[in-house]
Amino acid sequence: MRYILRRFGFYVLAAWVALTMNFFLPRLMPGDPATALFARFKGRLSPEAMQGLREAFGFTHEPLLKQYITYLGHVLKGDLGISVAYFPSPVMKVIGTGFVWTLFLAGSAVVLSFAIGTLLGVAAAWWRRGWVDTWLPSALVFVGAFPYFWLAMVALYVFGFTLGWFPLGHAYSDDITPSWSFGFAIDVLRHAVLPVGTVILVTLGGWLLSMRNSMIAVLGSDYVNLARAKGLPPARVALRYAARNALLPSVTGFGMALGFVLGGSLLTEIVFSYPGQGYLLVQAVRNQDYALMQGIFLVITLAVLGANLCVDIFYLWLDPRTRESRS
Amino acid sequence: MSLRARFRGAGILFPLLLAFGGAACAPEHARAPKGVLIVSQEQQSSWIRNFNPLTTATSARWPTLAGVYEPLFVFNSVKSQYVPWLAVAREWREQNRVLRLTTRRGVLWSDGRPFSARDVAFTFDLLRRFKALDRRGVWGFLDGVTAVNDSTVDFRFQRVFIPGFDEVAAQLIVPRHAWSSVVDPVAFPNEKPVATGPFTEVRVFQDQIYELGRNPHYWQPGKPRVEALRFPAYPSNDRANLALVFDEADWAGNFIPAVDRVFVKRRPQDHRYWFPLTGSSIFLYPNTTRVPFNDVRVRKALSMAIDRNLLVDVALYHYSRPADATGLSDAYSAWLDTTVIARGDWVKHDLARANSMLDSAGFRRGPDGLRRLPNGKPWNYEILTVSGWSDWVRASQVISRGLAGLGIQASVRTYDFAAWFQRVQEGNFDLSLGWSFEGPTPYNFYHWLMSSSTVKPIGEASMGNWHRYGSPEADRVLGAFEREPDPAAQRGLCNEMQRIFSAEAPAIPLYPNPSWAEYNIRRFDGFPSAANPYADPSPNKFDRGDLLLVLTSLSPR
Repeated sequence: MRYILRRFGFYVLAAWVALTMNFFLPRLMPGDPATALFARFKGRLSPEAMQGLREAFGFTHEPLLKQYITYLGHVLKGDLGISVAYFPSPVMKVIGTGFVWTLFLAGSAVVLSFAIGTLLGVAAAWWRRGWVDTWLPSALVFVGAFPYFWLAMVALYVFGFTLGWFPLGHAYSDDITPSWSFGFAIDVLRHAVLPVGTVILVTLGGWLLSMRNSMIAVLGSDYVNLARAKGLPPARVALRYAARNALLPSVTGFGMALGFVLGGSLLTEIVFSYPGQGYLLVQAVRNQDYALMQGIFLVITLAVLGANLCVDIFYLWLDPRTRESRS
Repeated sequence: MSLRARFRGAGILFPLLLAFGGAACAPEHARAPKGVLIVSQEQQSSWIRNFNPLTTATSARWPTLAGVYEPLFVFNSVKSQYVPWLAVAREWREQNRVLRLTTRRGVLWSDGRPFSARDVAFTFDLLRRFKALDRRGVWGFLDGVTAVNDSTVDFRFQRVFIPGFDEVAAQLIVPRHAWSSVVDPVAFPNEKPVATGPFTEVRVFQDQIYELGRNPHYWQPGKPRVEALRFPAYPSNDRANLALVFDEADWAGNFIPAVDRVFVKRRPQDHRYWFPLTGSSIFLYPNTTRVPFNDVRVRKALSMAIDRNLLVDVALYHYSRPADATGLSDAYSAWLDTTVIARGDWVKHDLARANSMLDSAGFRRGPDGLRRLPNGKPWNYEILTVSGWSDWVRASQVISRGLAGLGIQASVRTYDFAAWFQRVQEGNFDLSLGWSFEGPTPYNFYHWLMSSSTVKPIGEASMGNWHRYGSPEADRVLGAFEREPDPAAQRGLCNEMQRIFSAEAPAIPLYPNPSWAEYNIRRFDGFPSAANPYADPSPNKFDRGDLLLVLTSLSPR
């Protein structure tokens, strides 16, 4: 329990640091929201209207520290402010439109890629110099070395345009109204195949290799030899003895990968016109929409911290030594 | 033209894919029902429901500004003439201090209530009460707006200001009965618009798509013939272009590189485009508060060092033409003074003359070949441009090469939009690319190029006139134009403005921007084209209502 509490304390601290950076980083960018607004009209906005707008948006010239304290207070109350780029929608609502899809996209891609990659890694290590071990790692690393953007465009072109197997974009068909039905779920899955598939394709190699390598190391250890000598079934030795221990480094990587994929979902979303938050972030930066930027960063940060907390708890189950260290 | 609609950005992969996959035959994709026009104008990943035509706080969904709501007069920028729309007649009264408009009878709002001059007066009163709605700054010259009766409205001006008509005419009108109870019209999302335009009924509104149906009470009988407009969300230019090439979208206003090969050749019988040169003119702005750019001989020499033919070829795939000495785009064809163009040799590429001009102006080359200021400082300048705006970046490179021939080391420096804009607005630059300001007459264009009233001190952000040039002679002519209601006399004054511009060269014109429009005529008929140039074809042209002309002319096949 102490372990969990200590980890929890660490995450609260990390969240605070992230919040603070969230606040100050956008403000270090050149320009200000009013200039960006001006830019949106290419200057065709009368100075009087500009002044009116500044008032409507509530741009202030208060000292930064005071703004920071107000900001912290608002965040604690769950109020992320009003988006300038999507005025007058509150930031929560704007993020709400995209974040579920991004979480679905990135989450399923990471989980699937992790699961498949790890299993393949186990297989590659168990059957050393088998065909999985010989061909897959090099092939996947080769594919993973392509720029993601390019690979995604090719996939879209081949499977979307030329073969017509999968839809060309969006999270679900345009003529379907979202609902909790089987038909809608199938439709969402069909739309997710290409974006999720391409992310898996480029990330699979990493999981496979890391699992394979740590598994090979574990397979040489005494307790695995003992398990074999005891005459335990090979599947049990492979999964319960070797894989479970070899999994530890990969699990640590999993928490970090979620962060990368959430942050990097922008490219996927642009190629496949997926209605996620990646594009919102671009809009926010373009319009110097501090509130929206902060909101998106905050949600990403919280998601990554949450995932890492889950990983820590998973560790407890996976690795008895962490349980030992609590006393 | 909104920023989003501009091309720029990562546009390399799209032509690449089309190049190596061009032979593959795309299967037919599910199409919209007959009569539903699929348009790609805004690039968004998901839609936010907003149909507020007045607010400047956010961009309302297309075509709120010309399609859902309507202006008093539509300005046809291809023909350079006004088309009566919600107003049918105008008249200047009381020594041009009062503008009287007669509104159209028989117009109904989409909820069936009648439109009247009182709605017009109400709308202008809203702009007066909420400054953030007054995007054209009409209350900078208006004194009061009153509805004389149901079909007559009087605009009282603070002073005689004839170009004020252009701003009044373009104002979109909202219904009094629906808007008088709106507490905060700046933040009002207007989810269910009540309007006079051809498309007012929101049939579908989801994250990824929305659809606008016909106005059941539209005042033009039998129109629009298009049943509905549908807007899929495409987040990038590449994606929108693919949709266009593969017959997913019927109409778009994007930049497409090598459009003949990439788009037209794909299906020559249906794929059409027309890029009339009616966009804003692109300039190289020299900071005229700094030495040596305060010298007209230097500005002209710089201009003559630029090979504009090469520039439009390299930067714009030859979609445009080199600018002439008036700097005006084809949107002002009715105003052009051909003698100014014929005599304007300072926009022709002539490196030898440019060099001798600088020599005779006393700017000698140093031993390293670079020219020097009288104080010995070598001519070493930066050309500012926006990163990702590939046409501007390429244009800057051509310019930089040209200036090298004059002994000027001009390096191209790209900035993020916001950073670039701040520098330019505050006058913190030597040379920068930039756009020009448009209007129905060349008044606005030259006003922002050389009127002393637009010159702000260095360091203070200025909406235009970034090069900070004021010409007393231009002030006189522009002032006279403001007080001149007679079209023939206005033409004479515009010729004056062009002559002054060409003589003083306050900025260096490069090329007029095209108005982008691509369309598919398989399902719809009636798009403007070079053969039938009845209006500007671009969906981006909503500023003064051009779009309405197209929307009411299209018909399903």
